[in-house]
Amino acid sequence: MIAAAVATVLGTALSSVLSCLPGLHVYNVMSLLVMGAHALRAQGHALPAEVVVPFAIGLTVGYALLSNIPSVLLAAPDESALFTVLPGQKFLMAGRGYEGTLITAAGGLAGLCALVLIVGPLAPRLLPAAGMVFRPHTHWILWCVICFMLMSEWPKGGTRGQAGLRRFSDGWKTTGMGLLTFALSGLLGFLLFYRSPIPIEAAFQNIMPAFVGLFTLPWLLLNVVSRVEAPPQCVPAGSIGLDAMTLLRGTFAGCLGGGFAAFFPVITGGVGGLLAGHATATRDDRVFLVSQGASKLVYYVAGLLLLFVPGLGLTRGGAASMLKGLFVPRTVYDYLLALASVALAGATAFLLVGPLTRAVIGLMRRYTYRRMSAAALLAVLALVFGVTGCMGLAVMAVAGAIGMIPVLYGSRRMNCLGVILLPMACNMSGAGPTVARWLGLL
Amino acid sequence: MKGISHFAIGAAAASCFPDAVEAGAAGNPLYFILGGVFGLLPDTLDFKFTRFFFKHDIEVSPDPNRPDPRAIAGAVAHAVNRAFETRRPLSIKLDTVRLGADRWQRYEVIFDVLRRRVVVRYGPQVDTGGTPITGTGTRPPLEAAAPLACDVRLDYLAVTQVDIFDGPVFRMTPLEDGTVAPEFIPWHRAWSHSFTIGLLCAGVCGVIFGPLAAMVAAAALAGHILTDQLGHMGCNLFYPFSKKRTQGSRLMHAGQSWPNFAAVWISCLVIFWNLYRRTAGVPPLSPIRLAAFALGLPALLLNLARRLWSKVTRISTTPGL
Repeated sequence: MIAAAVATVLGTALSSVLSCLPGLHVYNVMSLLVMGAHALRAQGHALPAEVVVPFAIGLTVGYALLSNIPSVLLAAPDESALFTVLPGQKFLMAGRGYEGTLITAAGGLAGLCALVLIVGPLAPRLLPAAGMVFRPHTHWILWCVICFMLMSEWPKGGTRGQAGLRRFSDGWKTTGMGLLTFALSGLLGFLLFYRSPIPIEAAFQNIMPAFVGLFTLPWLLLNVVSRVEAPPQCVPAGSIGLDAMTLLRGTFAGCLGGGFAAFFPVITGGVGGLLAGHATATRDDRVFLVSQGASKLVYYVAGLLLLFVPGLGLTRGGAASMLKGLFVPRTVYDYLLALASVALAGATAFLLVGPLTRAVIGLMRRYTYRRMSAAALLAVLALVFGVTGCMGLAVMAVAGAIGMIPVLYGSRRMNCLGVILLPMACNMSGAGPTVARWLGLL
Repeated sequence: MKGISHFAIGAAAASCFPDAVEAGAAGNPLYFILGGVFGLLPDTLDFKFTRFFFKHDIEVSPDPNRPDPRAIAGAVAHAVNRAFETRRPLSIKLDTVRLGADRWQRYEVIFDVLRRRVVVRYGPQVDTGGTPITGTGTRPPLEAAAPLACDVRLDYLAVTQVDIFDGPVFRMTPLEDGTVAPEFIPWHRAWSHSFTIGLLCAGVCGVIFGPLAAMVAAAALAGHILTDQLGHMGCNLFYPFSKKRTQGSRLMHAGQSWPNFAAVWISCLVIFWNLYRRTAGVPPLSPIRLAAFALGLPALLLNLARRLWSKVTRISTTPGL
């Protein structure tokens, strides 16, 4: 028991460092650790499950809760931002980044409580039946999510002037670019799935350069080029003034979105959050931040916990896939161990939110925002090159060009998820190889 | 209703066809995609196409630096009066006032029916989510009124907020009884929200994908029109045979959280039940039990939480406590 608790706390502590580095995903680090564990096992030194499972859970929970720090504090919008100033960015630009981070973390903690106290006891009774019902239908659910995602991006321009083609084309600029982004990232996804240029020895990180290029590179580059500076951040002495109703509404929306994304394959926490935000008509910035925190945590942690639910055996998300290679949970004891580790890791990570946020704000005071972004950019480039080599950098550059489209035209960045959504949806419906043949990839 | 509600209702409508569920289980996603897409299609046609081609006669673009409610009220009153005098419809578009990347100036246009005038009132500045920005707006609010030459008969709300993205169009339509009806965004819920055009679209879909697809599309489109009919604005139900929107039953507003969430949740339950009925080897579950645990119990708990919250808020805001 003590070993499990220590492993949980160590995993959380490691993730607290990793989470503050923008662009670095916990799965990248976890895959390296899993490779190390396999190497140890090959030499006859297998790690006990009571250490591996809590450590992996500590890493995942810590990342899900603490990666909100860079996503709020290191994502300042520049003056070119059209309609895409996110609530976290608003808090940052108002000098209230600390408050924004804590509100998001509070959402994460509330999501964790809902997961451990409500979903945890009910999951073994409800989820196996739900899994049986939905299993043959996941492909069309994924297609429906894609269709809704694309159809629900409404034109933002074309609001002035007389009716006609000019207004129509102005209105469709953002929407059209959103569709183009989805199509291009989908094509890139097909290339990576069917004829990946990534070396075979780095195949476990096949999609990583594309993700870095699509999501991390554009805003780091923009931060460096646009010379934007975040205003000084204040750290309030008292409460952050988060009322119970805001917390409840945000947690409710976030848990729904995160839970949906965790249960159904390929759908990410962001997509789940979008769906839940629409379904619950979330408009208030604080509710949005709480829901983002809850959605992210539930998505990552529930995805991993599904592996442990007795009678279910669902593998969702990178952490579960990697852990499954080392350990296959079989008993209720494993499930309870996982739940206890989630609770302990959540408590530890939440205690770290305040000090870590203050530390990052301290760094922001010491170094300019631009320099920090440049350092993060170099770290990301080094990581991609180190893991996937020159071809990884090339994939990242192509993905980066696609990822710049939504930044420049003010469309949804989520359309970049076409990189996994399109090929996976085609594959799940059995049309993947046919499409790949049309594209000349087979 | 919001887009996701219509989409979910369309997918739920598709799940009511056993053949669509069988096809879905066999790897064919077509019918569920058609259900969702046709569920959202009427709004897609309106907001992504029709609105850009709807001509207006007058456009009001308020100056962001010099707020002038008198000019806006005057323009709206002029549109009403001109329609009354010429006995011909006249459309006026009110532009939004953008102040920054995430900042808009809100103003309200009020048709004061009893006092036969148009009032324009400047409100606070709001963000793109429509949330007022604290410390903005004046006390008392900047306000102006302009007299009308005739009575107006409202087909929608008396107060219209103009704040984010695109502003509204009003078509001032002279009526036979000597009044003028300001039709709110006349391009919306017109031809696209009619059963006749819905049937036509479903027919086209049937020609391309077969009779089951036609039935799914028709059910999804009908679901959209019927749920919109629960609101205030209503739909032009039998275009081109009917010329005007039939007033809605005014049970809710399209943007309200709870009706939208309820629509999505109930649609998900309908989908689950329809899939469950066609899944072999699952534990037995009666529809009453499903409704009690997945609908009744959450509704009860949420209602309790809301009551408790309003009680707590009332206590904390009572003077002297």
